[in-house]
Amino acid sequence: MRIKQHPILDFEPKRPILFRYNNQEVIGYEGDTIAAALHAAGIKVLSFSMVEKRPRGFYCAIGNCGSCHMTVNGVPNVKTCLTMLEEGMEVVSMETKVK
Amino acid sequence: MNADVVIIGSGISGASIAYNLALRGLKNIVVIDKSYPTSGSTGRCGAGVRQQWGTKGNCIMAKHSIEFFETAQKTLDYHEDIEFKQEGYLILATTIEEEKEFAENILLQNSLNIPARQLTKEEALAIVPHLNPDAFISATFCPTDGHLNPFKMTDAYYQAAKKQGVLFRFFEEVTAIERYNGKIQAVITQCDRYDTSVVVNAAGGFAREIAEMVGVDLPVYPENHEILVTEPVAKMQGPMVMSFSKNIYCQQVPHGSFLMGRTTPGQPSNHDIGSSWQFLDEMAKTVCDILPKIGELRVIRQWGGSYAVSPDHQPIISSVKQQAGFYLACGFSGHGFMFAPMTGILLSEIMLDLPPTLDVSEYDLDRFTQNQKIVKEKSVV
Repeated sequence: MRIKQHPILDFEPKRPILFRYNNQEVIGYEGDTIAAALHAAGIKVLSFSMVEKRPRGFYCAIGNCGSCHMTVNGVPNVKTCLTMLEEGMEVVSMETKVK
Repeated sequence: MNADVVIIGSGISGASIAYNLALRGLKNIVVIDKSYPTSGSTGRCGAGVRQQWGTKGNCIMAKHSIEFFETAQKTLDYHEDIEFKQEGYLILATTIEEEKEFAENILLQNSLNIPARQLTKEEALAIVPHLNPDAFISATFCPTDGHLNPFKMTDAYYQAAKKQGVLFRFFEEVTAIERYNGKIQAVITQCDRYDTSVVVNAAGGFAREIAEMVGVDLPVYPENHEILVTEPVAKMQGPMVMSFSKNIYCQQVPHGSFLMGRTTPGQPSNHDIGSSWQFLDEMAKTVCDILPKIGELRVIRQWGGSYAVSPDHQPIISSVKQQAGFYLACGFSGHGFMFAPMTGILLSEIMLDLPPTLDVSEYDLDRFTQNQKIVKEKSVV
């Protein structure tokens, strides 16, 4: 979900950025963090709890909680809520990586 | 209330002793702890178990204990996996002297059927590829060493002991041990009185204070040793990597985190179990030297715990000549967890006058009072 129309604020159209999430193509916009782009694209599960493997979503959004840790371009445990989106990023949820 | 035996301390040693005494038919056993099981050194330990030691006694203790861990879940009829992983210990030699010392250790270990061997640098790198090849000259490796979950292992003993009728009292602190005519009469806590003539001191970092209650001067001193743990990553390291000269042990635990510790030199003897930035700083430098890739990981948290250090870094599993009915299982110097299965067996044999599984004279308290030359265990971090 993105706010496109707002009663008092104007949103300039931004440059779309193409990236991949778990082998599917996703579009975000310039100025998004990875987690924000995923959330806006409807991908709300970012990681899984360690023991019970329960889904974890966008939580603290300031890099403290670890809920949004994902593997980005092969680097594990990236705080996607703080990392700016770049063209062609490979984002993988860590469930497939950590057992 | 009455008790045939009171065990002070419900860490892994106390739990193992309780289980082994009950197994050998002793009734009316009470275990008292001033906190909860594993709240002391057991729950704070690195939880590695190894057989690569420099003294015969430690080698045998470790070998028998590991054999127990291999089948512990079944033996103790525990409902969960104790997470015993046997992927070995890789111990790095960083100097020629150390390499020579390790060669002697390996001869000793092999003579006791411990499958340890010396490795060249290339062989070590094949086992742990992310080692810094410039940080060491050779290594030793024992594939049956490993790592297990200290909470689950202690719980397994605790549950098994309870099934045998052992009574556990938590959050009760022993305040005094009453004696009359040189005999132990009772153990006093802040909430109860236990009439007994037999007391086992398995109080870990507080063993010295407990011994003082019966006038025994125990040469066991608590020392804070710190550990840190990183965020989890996909499995990249099988064995525990250890170096005595570089002062580090570092292991990837089953859920992916790296757990590492070192000794802070010049640590005062007290009950401090805090965390320091000095440890974090030195630990990070040491691990980045030996295992540089781990430097990319973030640290999640740190903790400290007491090593109960004896003069020769070897356990005290012993009766006490000057105080009948007083038994010791302490002074493990950081290795009480890995020896616990044998601790329970050996002390229960001493207490019940059964033929000993192993020669335990090496662990007698008297070794410190007889002015004999102490053989110090050098293979310690």
